[in-house]
Amino acid sequence: MFRQLLRNSVLRRILAALGTLLGVAIFVFLMLRAIPGDQISSGLGTEAAALTPSQRAALESYYGLDQPLIVQFFSWLGNIFTGNLGFSSRAQTSVLDLTLAALPVTFELAIFSIVIALAIGIPLGMLSASKPDSFRDGVGQVVGLAGLSIPAFLLGTALLAILASSFGFNPNGQAYATLFEDPLLNLQQMLLPSIVLGFGIAAPIMRTTRTAVLEIRSNDFIRTARAKGVPPRRLQVRHVLGNALVPIVTMTGLQFGYLLGGAVVVEQIFSLPGIGRQVLLGIQQKEYALVQSTVLVIALAFVIVNLLTDLLYRVIDPRVRAA
Amino acid sequence: MSTARWASLGALTATGLAFALVVTGCSAPASDPKPSAGAAGGDLVIGVTSDPDTLFPWKATQFQAVNVLQNLYGTLTEFDEDLNVVPGLAESWDVSEDGLTLTFHLREGVTFADGSTFGSEDVKYSLDAIAAEATAAVARSSLASVTAVEATDENTVTLTLSAPDAALPANLAVINMAMLSSDDTEEGLNTTPNGTGPFILDDRKASQSITLAKNVDYWGDTALLDTVEFRVIPDESSIVSAMQSGNVQLAVFDDPLVAQTAEGANVEVATTPQLSYHALQLNATRGDLADVNVRLAMQCAIDRQEVLDTAALGEGEVTGPITSPAYKSDPDARPCPERDLDKAAEYLKKAGKEDGVTIKTIVSQGEYATSVNEAQNLKAQLADAKITLDLEVLESGAFVDRWIAADFDAAVALNGGRPDPDGMYGRYFTSTGNLNKVAGYSSPELDALFAEGRQTADPDKRKDIYAQVSENLEDNAAWIWLFTSYTYTATASTVDGFVPMVNGSLQYLRTTSIK
Amino acid sequence: MTDISQTPALAPGGGRTMERVRLLLRSRSGLTGLIIVVLLAVLSLVSAFGLLPFDPLAQDPPSRLQPPSAVHWFGTDQFGRDVFSRVAAGVANSALISVVAVAFATVVGTVCGLIAGFYRGFSDGAITAVTNVLFAFPPLLLALSLASVFERNWFTIAVAIAIVYVPIFIRVTRGPVLSLREVEYVKAAKSTGQSRMATMFRHVLPNITSIIIVQVTLSLSWAVLTEASLSFLGLGTPPPAPSLGSMIFEARTLVTIAPWTMIAPGVIVVLLVVGLNLLGDGLRDSLDPRNRGKR
Repeated sequence: MFRQLLRNSVLRRILAALGTLLGVAIFVFLMLRAIPGDQISSGLGTEAAALTPSQRAALESYYGLDQPLIVQFFSWLGNIFTGNLGFSSRAQTSVLDLTLAALPVTFELAIFSIVIALAIGIPLGMLSASKPDSFRDGVGQVVGLAGLSIPAFLLGTALLAILASSFGFNPNGQAYATLFEDPLLNLQQMLLPSIVLGFGIAAPIMRTTRTAVLEIRSNDFIRTARAKGVPPRRLQVRHVLGNALVPIVTMTGLQFGYLLGGAVVVEQIFSLPGIGRQVLLGIQQKEYALVQSTVLVIALAFVIVNLLTDLLYRVIDPRVRAA
Repeated sequence: MSTARWASLGALTATGLAFALVVTGCSAPASDPKPSAGAAGGDLVIGVTSDPDTLFPWKATQFQAVNVLQNLYGTLTEFDEDLNVVPGLAESWDVSEDGLTLTFHLREGVTFADGSTFGSEDVKYSLDAIAAEATAAVARSSLASVTAVEATDENTVTLTLSAPDAALPANLAVINMAMLSSDDTEEGLNTTPNGTGPFILDDRKASQSITLAKNVDYWGDTALLDTVEFRVIPDESSIVSAMQSGNVQLAVFDDPLVAQTAEGANVEVATTPQLSYHALQLNATRGDLADVNVRLAMQCAIDRQEVLDTAALGEGEVTGPITSPAYKSDPDARPCPERDLDKAAEYLKKAGKEDGVTIKTIVSQGEYATSVNEAQNLKAQLADAKITLDLEVLESGAFVDRWIAADFDAAVALNGGRPDPDGMYGRYFTSTGNLNKVAGYSSPELDALFAEGRQTADPDKRKDIYAQVSENLEDNAAWIWLFTSYTYTATASTVDGFVPMVNGSLQYLRTTSIK
Repeated sequence: MTDISQTPALAPGGGRTMERVRLLLRSRSGLTGLIIVVLLAVLSLVSAFGLLPFDPLAQDPPSRLQPPSAVHWFGTDQFGRDVFSRVAAGVANSALISVVAVAFATVVGTVCGLIAGFYRGFSDGAITAVTNVLFAFPPLLLALSLASVFERNWFTIAVAIAIVYVPIFIRVTRGPVLSLREVEYVKAAKSTGQSRMATMFRHVLPNITSIIIVQVTLSLSWAVLTEASLSFLGLGTPPPAPSLGSMIFEARTLVTIAPWTMIAPGVIVVLLVVGLNLLGDGLRDSLDPRNRGKR
């Protein structure tokens, strides 16, 4: 019975995912402590030199740094299961609250970026595939190449500098507004960062679309449909695009997962209080619990997105039902 | 082809939407409402690169935290714009004949933000707690000479000292000596500050902003601004953009280039010298540096103005050890006021090191803009005198660890300064100072001078004593003091009444108004 | 945004190198990519041998912020340093770090992938588990955390980036190896008593070389971008060694008064990545006829 359960591929996937998350937890825990400096020296800087041994001991106990590593690890992990992700003494808020505030920001950014990427990538991919090796194809390829090659930090910096100084456009200079507080400002603040990120992801989506479309085009059933007289537009959308969806969805899911991981650089440049910035700040300030829990949350999100993409994959293409 | 048509249609719609967003964004300047009449009222937005890492004054060292806390909390004494010690929560104070008793007469009618009254028991509680090791308060060593604190009556506090300490009133003016209510705990204060300052906490969004509102029950003149928002914009050039678009009205920069780009039609930039100083710290307890001749050789091989010019674009002043205006050192009062390679060679010969020496030097990276460039220029200059600086560029965490452990021959450092020379160097250059290990140098002469400086309150005598301290430090090349740089305060033209201070304090937000 | 797990779909094949090279040279993009990469490689070598017109680190305050001229081809920055020399040194730096990182990742990743695919069983399970853990991390965050652990210099950064990219190589090699195991002549080799390791290196490895080569060029471009992004965040190559990323970071404040300080490193970093991508595409086309024209 147990072996039967194990053979169930979905369950296996979930178990593997849990194992991965545990591995992530251990890895990040150890890695953080390998970085020189701790929360005391990061908080006090050179003033920490003036601490007497008992002052230092008091601080270590305050930050929970005096316990043996194993204890620190398991108490952190144990707390996670009760929903206590830790506490950030710098922000004086629980890590859970911080994450709940930061996750929607990155999530929104990721969604907009994907939308823009799909809006640019799919039409361009189809355009390129409609007449391979033509001028059209060349244009598509160049745009795709540019997206892959122009670093996000360069594009973001240049755009912001030009727009802010020449046109006075700098909504990111105002305090961040969530979508519910001030929809217009929020959209304005998301505009440039989404364009920058979306442009970068558009490239792989464009390439995947192009490859998939070309492959499917040459398939028999398309030729049959054309011979049968199916109007070209319906052919494009229903048959070609429909079948190309599988790899496109897979690619999109993959990119989404990475975006969730924190578009750190873009969040820095445009002052967006997202997850990536939260982790970066945590690493700089040596707030261990913050980084550990947040990275775990990101890994969890990534794993979930992968699982969902997998499921979606199976739903779209019934041929792919085998393990 | 239909595909092409779709693609262009999609592109047009998207571009149209984006354009609409941009246009609406362009036309909206600062969304903060302008006051209708007079100088009072208004909201000020200050652009900062990060938010405070703590709201507990006794542990705050990062300048972002100090800047905010200075406006929330009060101290017994304060500094005015010329860094003179003036009354704060203490209206006046007397020192006994023998200098061993210090009596503070507290202001009456002062309340904390939560409404409770401020009195001598709060002062006693605060001072005792700061002196206690378990509190891990940063300013503990400033109270080293205090043996007892007594709340003699509701508005009087008496301090008993083991030795006269003329620097104590000045040392009490820093925010790490904030007076807290005896009913408050550290955990409580970290979320809800409760101080006697000109502002109270209005709102806080972690990593995004912290907003202060004026304290109408403040014991002094009520602040003119309604609110002050410290808005976090991690990127300095984004802060400049925000100032240009009117979203931010005040910002403090250290980088002269950034300040240059900020200056414009509606932004004014004021240049203020700072108390903090750039120095090549030498550890005289290690290796070749134990010989004063080697250190003097280094002093003579360096042209400080050149370091300033190459690393900081000349934005600053060459300096001696003491940077406080009242006690400022004469930068030329040293064996080698100018670069003199012959003298340097002579000193090396005296030390028996004609073939040169190698000094392992640590430099931080990312902490402040000029560190690596300074190190590079120092290396190039010293190479001419056969002194090799073996540079180790360390990330700030690693640098701090090494600095604290005094695990270096030399270190390129930017250290904070204080208005009182005893507060500034007492910890470093006395044999019992808690930073003496890091300083790497002490002597009986210096110990005597510092003790003398604490004994007398006469300003002229103290000036003389600390001039001797400064000379002693330079004559022995304890460290190589390089320069002080400027701080640039950018204000929108609508901002009035803000006075930047040499110690970097933002306390004059209380007199700032917005037109 | 980099997409580090996109793997090329190639069928393994053997030999015929000359024909492949000819195919590469005939493909327009492959040729362009090759030319760009070679030019920039030459630039790196020029820098490495100290043949630059100016010392990239030498400051000359009197000549600050000069626009491009006959003397300073790309102008000077805020310290009077020659931008062209700095950009060349930056390219050399990026090249060094990327090559070392990818070499490391290739060797470690390929070996692990071979072992995992060929031996299966416990080693496969262990290696796959580690791969999954590393994959679950956002690449940039992983790189910057790892780079902070040891004293930062070009080598430790290269190792940090390598660790981030090892999983790709493992995944890329493991797949084909799994299928190759079942191929006739491999099975035959086993039956003749050849040791498994010999089989692995003698028969399996040559067949996946083409996949590895393509992955190498793609990884090189990603490594360049990662190093530049790390430097932009202030967590990459420590100063004073010029890095394209940190040059762009410093140029942020100067872009309105001295745009060449950002344009020069910006254009070069894009060119480098474009060249590597084109070369990778060209290689992919020439190494697998099935994918020709279907990038």
